[in-house]
Amino acid sequence: MTGTADRIWEVFRQEDEGAPMIHAGNVNAPDPELALHYAREFYGRRGESHRLWIVPREAITELDDPDLLKPPFDRSHKKPGGYIIKHKLEAAKQRALGETGE
Amino acid sequence: MTVTTDLDLETREALAELVLSVADDEFVIGFWDSEWTGIAPMLEEDVATSSIAQDEIGHAKALYELLGELIGEEADHIAFGRDADGYRHASLLNHRRGDWAFSVARRYLYETADAVRLGALAHSAHEPLALLTGKMRREETYHLLHAEAWLRRLADASDEAPERLADAIRALWTDAQDVFAPLAGEEVLVRSGMLPIPMRALHADWQARVRPTLEPIAGSLPATAPSLDGRERRSDDFAWLHSEFTSVARTEERATW
Repeated sequence: MTGTADRIWEVFRQEDEGAPMIHAGNVNAPDPELALHYAREFYGRRGESHRLWIVPREAITELDDPDLLKPPFDRSHKKPGGYIIKHKLEAAKQRALGETGE
Repeated sequence: MTVTTDLDLETREALAELVLSVADDEFVIGFWDSEWTGIAPMLEEDVATSSIAQDEIGHAKALYELLGELIGEEADHIAFGRDADGYRHASLLNHRRGDWAFSVARRYLYETADAVRLGALAHSAHEPLALLTGKMRREETYHLLHAEAWLRRLADASDEAPERLADAIRALWTDAQDVFAPLAGEEVLVRSGMLPIPMRALHADWQARVRPTLEPIAGSLPATAPSLDGRERRSDDFAWLHSEFTSVARTEERATW
């Protein structure tokens, strides 16, 4: 049967309604119908999944270019940790309390 | 062991015969298909086939437990403690697994027949049986989808698969009817609503359903009815399978595993 299973399908699973879809792994299958059956067997047969997404690998647009993802300059000013807002929050809270107290 | 006592003896015996026939079908096809574990056409299919076979053993277990309550016997002992002649599976399940096309053809024939039978049993007047078969139906839906998927693929393939599939369908056609072989106490069961539709009517439903799918693949299939001893004939193939699946249980009878 070689040659019939030449497509790879990436499988995402959700444990409960509302939970995030998390990449589970992948299966080989010749078409969407068998991909669905095999995804069910590999990632759902023990009742561990609430929902599966089965995506042909070629439908995925991949980005792994380090120039785009890890540029060589200091990024600290893009991170929320760069701003200390604890004192500002405290002051705002006191102000709000003062207003309602009047 | 509790025995269901609110049924008269005649009804209880007839019901036991019905439950045993379904249980043995599931049990035996589960063991035959598990013979593919490790050697199915591709890894994913290996897992799927093995998992489906395991589902069938799970259904058999639940049915043997139900039967155990009817007759006052342990499920394990019913499953593994009988001689080969004591099994009541349909003659369709007397054959060894054969090649992949043979197993696909048999699974399609069995799953379609089982779907028709479960459709009736889910409305049985015997509530525990209705509940259990209703649950089984939900899982068998997927089994049927998978069997249909493979049947179509082999039928539409460009190599020798369609011919092998056609040969297998023709070889199994007569014995497939026996899933609907009449049961000893069937009249009592139909009268009491425990089997809401007689076997001969279920058989007609099933034939009407599968002929349009199978005849384009295998050519015209003969008009044939279930045989009276369709659940009593045992084969050398089954004797071999029986010796395999009882080999562990026989090492120490009545052991608690």
